[in-house]
This record gives sequence, C-alpha cells and structure tokens, in this order.
Amino acid sequence: MNLHFSAEDIAFRAQARDWLHEHVPRERRPHAGPAARAYDLAWQALQHDAGWAGISWPKEYGGLGLSLTRQLIWHEEYARANAPDHHLCFVALNHAGPTIMANGSEAHKQYHLPRILKGEVIWCQGFSEPNAGSDLASLRTRARVDGDQLVVSGSKIWTSHGHLSDWQELLVRTDASTPKHKGISWVICDMKSAGLTLRPIEIMTSPNQTHFVQCFYDDVRIPLTNVVGALNDGWNVAMSTLAFERGSAQIRDQIRYAYLVEEMIAKAVERLGNDCPLSRDEIGARLADLRADMAAARAMTYMVVSRADAGIGGSEASLMRAMVGETQQRARRLALDILGPYALENPEKDDWVYFYLRSFSITIAAGTAQIQRNIIGERVLGLPR
Amino acid sequence: MNLLPTAEQREIVESLRSFLGAHAPVSRLRPPAPQTGNSDHRLFGGLGDLGIWGCGLPEAAGGVGLSAAEESLIYRELGRNLLSPAIFALTLGAHLLLQFDEKLLSSFVDGSARVGIANPRGRISLAAQSNGDVHMFDCAEAEWVLISDESGTALFRRDDFADIQPVRSMDNLVTLHRARLLDARPWFWTAARDRLLHERALLLLSAFAVGIAEATRDMAVEYAKIREQFGRPIGSFQAIKHICADMAIRCEAALCQTAFASLVLAEGHDGLAFHATSSKLVAAASAVKNASQNIQVHGAIGFTAEADPHLFLKRAHLIEQLWSDSRRCRERLLSLDLPE
Repeated sequence: MNLHFSAEDIAFRAQARDWLHEHVPRERRPHAGPAARAYDLAWQALQHDAGWAGISWPKEYGGLGLSLTRQLIWHEEYARANAPDHHLCFVALNHAGPTIMANGSEAHKQYHLPRILKGEVIWCQGFSEPNAGSDLASLRTRARVDGDQLVVSGSKIWTSHGHLSDWQELLVRTDASTPKHKGISWVICDMKSAGLTLRPIEIMTSPNQTHFVQCFYDDVRIPLTNVVGALNDGWNVAMSTLAFERGSAQIRDQIRYAYLVEEMIAKAVERLGNDCPLSRDEIGARLADLRADMAAARAMTYMVVSRADAGIGGSEASLMRAMVGETQQRARRLALDILGPYALENPEKDDWVYFYLRSFSITIAAGTAQIQRNIIGERVLGLPR
Repeated sequence: MNLLPTAEQREIVESLRSFLGAHAPVSRLRPPAPQTGNSDHRLFGGLGDLGIWGCGLPEAAGGVGLSAAEESLIYRELGRNLLSPAIFALTLGAHLLLQFDEKLLSSFVDGSARVGIANPRGRISLAAQSNGDVHMFDCAEAEWVLISDESGTALFRRDDFADIQPVRSMDNLVTLHRARLLDARPWFWTAARDRLLHERALLLLSAFAVGIAEATRDMAVEYAKIREQFGRPIGSFQAIKHICADMAIRCEAALCQTAFASLVLAEGHDGLAFHATSSKLVAAASAVKNASQNIQVHGAIGFTAEADPHLFLKRAHLIEQLWSDSRRCRERLLSLDLPE
C-alpha cells in the first residue's frame, strides 16, 4: 500500500497541468444541439493537435498508451483544470474506438480510428430497444444477409445525441434461431443511411432539449464489411471493451463533485446567514456526510485502479459505480435544498437545477443501480441467480 | 499509488488470522462463556508476541518498525473477531509512552499491562488538571486507562478516577462504569496541538469498524446461501441479494477510505484530520448499518442471543460513540479545509 508517485510521474503531472491550464476552453459548454457538437469536436481536435488525444489508447492506434497511473494523473489534472468532459465524443473514444481496436478489420481501424482521435466524427450507441433495456440480449432489431449487404429493420431507443452523430455502433439480431446471447452482430451504421429515420425525445431537464432519439430502421442497407468481429458474435464483441477505461477516468467525476460540495458549503453558509451556524443545521450535517462519502468514493476509485493494475478484480468495480452514482445524486438533491425556494427557478445559466434534474439518469444509464446490485450479489458475493 | 496490501502485509494479516482463528474465534463469546464482560486480556500476551501492539513503533523501542497502514490492517482483523476495546489502549498507549517511559512502554508492547479505555460523556478537558465525566470500558481490573479526544490523548491510573459506578452495558460483553475526573493529573498525555495520536485513534477505530462491517456482510451472505424458503436459497431473491450488495458497497467505501487515510498518516501527507475524520464517519456508519441489516437477513434467529449478529451490532454502536461520535465528526469535518 502506498500513495507515492515516481519522479517521472510527478514531471508528467506538471506537464499535463501546464498544458491544460493554458488550453482548456473558457467558454461555457452549450448543453445541447449542433453548438454542443461543435464545442466537443473542437476541444477534441485541440487535444489531438497538441499530442494529448487518446491517453488510454495504445500507441499503434495513435494514442499515448499511458500506464494506468499516468492516466489517473491526467484525469486528476483534467478535473482540476475544470476541462469539459468528453460528452458527445464519449462513445467514440471509450467504446466504439476500443471495440474496433480489439475486433475490427484493418480497414475499420485505418478509416475510423484516426477520425475519432482527430475530433472529426461523433458516434452514438444503438443498443437499447423499446423492449430490451436491462435485458439487452433480448434485442429484436433484425438484420438479414442479402448478397454483400445486411438489411436492417426494427427500432433502437435512448440513443444519446443520435441526431448529432455520424456513426452508430449497432447491435442487431442476425440469427433468430439460436439462444438470445448468440445470433447478435455488432455493426457500424452510417447515420445518413437511407431508410433510417430519427424521432427526437426530449428529456426531463428543460423544454425543447433533445438528448435522445429513437431510431427506426426500414430496410436499411449496411455493407457486410461493416460487421465488426464475426457475424453472430456481436455479444462478445460488445462485452469485450465495456471496461476499457478500467476506472481511471472516474477520478475526474470524483474530483469535480468534491469541488461541487465545496461550492455548496459556501452557498449554504451564505443562505443560512449568521443566525444559524452550518454545524447546527440539518443541511450542515448532510454536507459533512457528503464530504466524507466523496472522499470515500475517491479512495474507492484508487482501489479500482489498483486492482486493474494488478490484473485482479473486474466485477468489484460495480461497488464503486454504485456508491458514486448514489452519492452524486444525493449531492444534486442537497444542492436543491440549499437553494430553497430558488430551486423552483430554472434559469438558462444555473447549473444546480439543471444537473439535479439530469442526475436521475445516473442510476439508470449503463446498467441500472438494481442491475449493478445483481452483479455485485452474483459475481462479487457468489449469491445464487 | 496502490491501495492493495503488499505480499509482506498479507503475510502479517495471515499470521494474525491464524492466531485469532485458534484463540479468539467469535464463538468464544457464546454461552457457556460468561455473558458479562470478557477475558480477552488473556490473549494480549500472545498477540504481543506477534508484534501486534508495537507494530507501528520503531524497532529501537521494541516495536516492529511498521506504520499506520499495517496497524489498520491489524485492527480490521481484531474488529472481525470482536476483541475487547481495551486493545486501543495498548496500541495508542504504546505510541504515547514512546515519548515518556521506556519501562512502562515495554509492558504495553508485550501486552502484559492491564489496560482499559474511557470515553467522555459530554465535554471534557484533558490537561494537567483534567475534568469531566466519562464511561470506562473493560476497566474493572485495569491499572491504566487511556482516553483520547480533540483536547489530547492521556493515560491515567484507574485510581485517578472518582465516583466509579458499575452500569449495565448495552454491549454486555464489555464491562461499563461511570466515573469522573476531578482535577486529575494524567501520568502521560499529549496536548491538543499534537493531534497525531487522536487521528491515529480515529483510524484504529475506523479499521475495527471495517472489520465489523465485513464480518456482518460475510455472515449475511453465507446465511443467504444456505437458508431456504419457497424452495430456494433466500439469497436468490433480489430483496435479499440487494441488501447483501448494499452491505458490500458499504464495506468497500469504509475499507478504501480507511486504507487511504492510514497512508496519509503513514506517509505524512496533508489532510490527515480530514481523511481520518471522514474514515470514522463512513466506517462507523457502515458498521452500524451492516450489523443491523445482518440481523434482518437472519430473520428471527438474528434477533436471538443464540446467534452472533447482536454482538456485532452492539459493538458497532460502541465504536460509533468512541472518541468522536458521528455528530462530532460531522461538526469537525465542516471546520476543516478540503485537502488537495
């Protein structure tokens, strides 16, 4: 056990800190729409041009191939510099890209990977369906082989930023005769394909804010060469890179939320005034618990990285995810209580109310809190299914 | 940066586990053992031979020359086995005596000193003239009594206390007395400005609480695997499975924060008070909650004195109260700056 970093690591930290301090965009990130797309791509391009793109990507694919420790340092400095998150670039950098690296053909790699790193393209995910959420493997969007093409029909839903994307990682059923985890294929879908229509879905944060789309595939033709990995092996292809970051990027959130709690403490002191010291108020007690839990969440992230570095664990990362998700939701809720009556106002430029509403997705996206608990119960604790 | 124990640290834990497995299994506390107080002091010499009490002391002082990181690994095991809270007096007393009295120190390191602990009831001042009301735990036959709070850490003789009155203890496996300090002078103490010992006290308590949280998680999980209702192991029902998962999440939070804080102390980083106080808050809450949930998972048998779950719950409440209860930890945490 130790908290040491080597002299080289410390030098790397200084380098990362200096560059980030100098180059992090100062303008506020638009929450949605084409302006958000332009903002995220410009930030990715800026990192690429300075040689900071793909810190967790292997060197052979244009990344920096940093060790987990260096990744951790980068993410810590990233959060301290208040750099914008990957947002629209997330799926490409953390899921589609790594999946193509692990399972794609030479042509897939040569075409797609540089475009992702350079900040030229946005990818979205086509996994969930109206009747396949937590039970993803029961997906029913069909694709039949016709010559050298796949013909796709069906529907995908909860596709974040689908209307702003160039490419989609799409899971389709290519063989309906086998058990549900088999007969699925992982396909690259061009979002401009004929027969693909999108229905925007507004989310609960504010009016007129499209986050998701529902995708309808009406005999959409996709070249067979766009299948990544073997036909009917898509479940394994999708699962192979779900843990690509191995936890190091989570530290960014942990640091950001720790700062948020500090802002909340300052705001609470201001709101309560001199009549009531924070330590005597219920809000103060909740803030103190949050401070402690945020510290624990960060320590849990270090543990996830320590285990990954030692090549052990895997499902244990669910412990950290579950804790972090609920702690973040609690923070957002408490921020609302600190605002008091002003929580009922939702101005364009106020982040607390917006992110409170946004926080409801934390325990739903990428595996609900309940599915996480099934994983913990069965894979970490060995309880029967 | 690495929060996993090294091979050497795992060896220390293994040898301690095998000692505790042979001499201090939780079953030692069941009837026909007397259900008031405990005889754990008989184990302290053997644990002293393993180097447990002098673990974090320099070798020149008869210690093992290790750090708070190893101490917290050790206290986690002692917590799992519900050792008498007198143990805190041995480790902390040894650290305190390092500055003062080598001869007495050796009796703490080898575990032969008869010790107990005291906890303030309300406000107390630890100084040349100490005053305040206390609870004494496992002090019935103690010669030395250790107290720690934010005003300092001090060793008194049992005779220094006034108005010693036995009280029935909620945790019936420890003895409890009410007592008070009336202008009593500690034999050895550190003042408020040297908080290091108090932070170490919070860390050892946290590690003990981690042990309780983990032991109760393990009991609940094992029971959920073997207990059948409706023709299935109850652990296959999500209602039970998710309780167990929550217990595992709490253990991980408490373990990681305590490990982190112990390294902050061992390596001398900034933010010790913040991290030690956070550990105490998170670990004590995890211990109390897991111990409670363990009773629920066990059902009616968990409510009886024939099974062990109640022992862990009662000890968890004792640990939560010791040397900064959660309310005081919250207050303190709000007064500290966030370390980098």
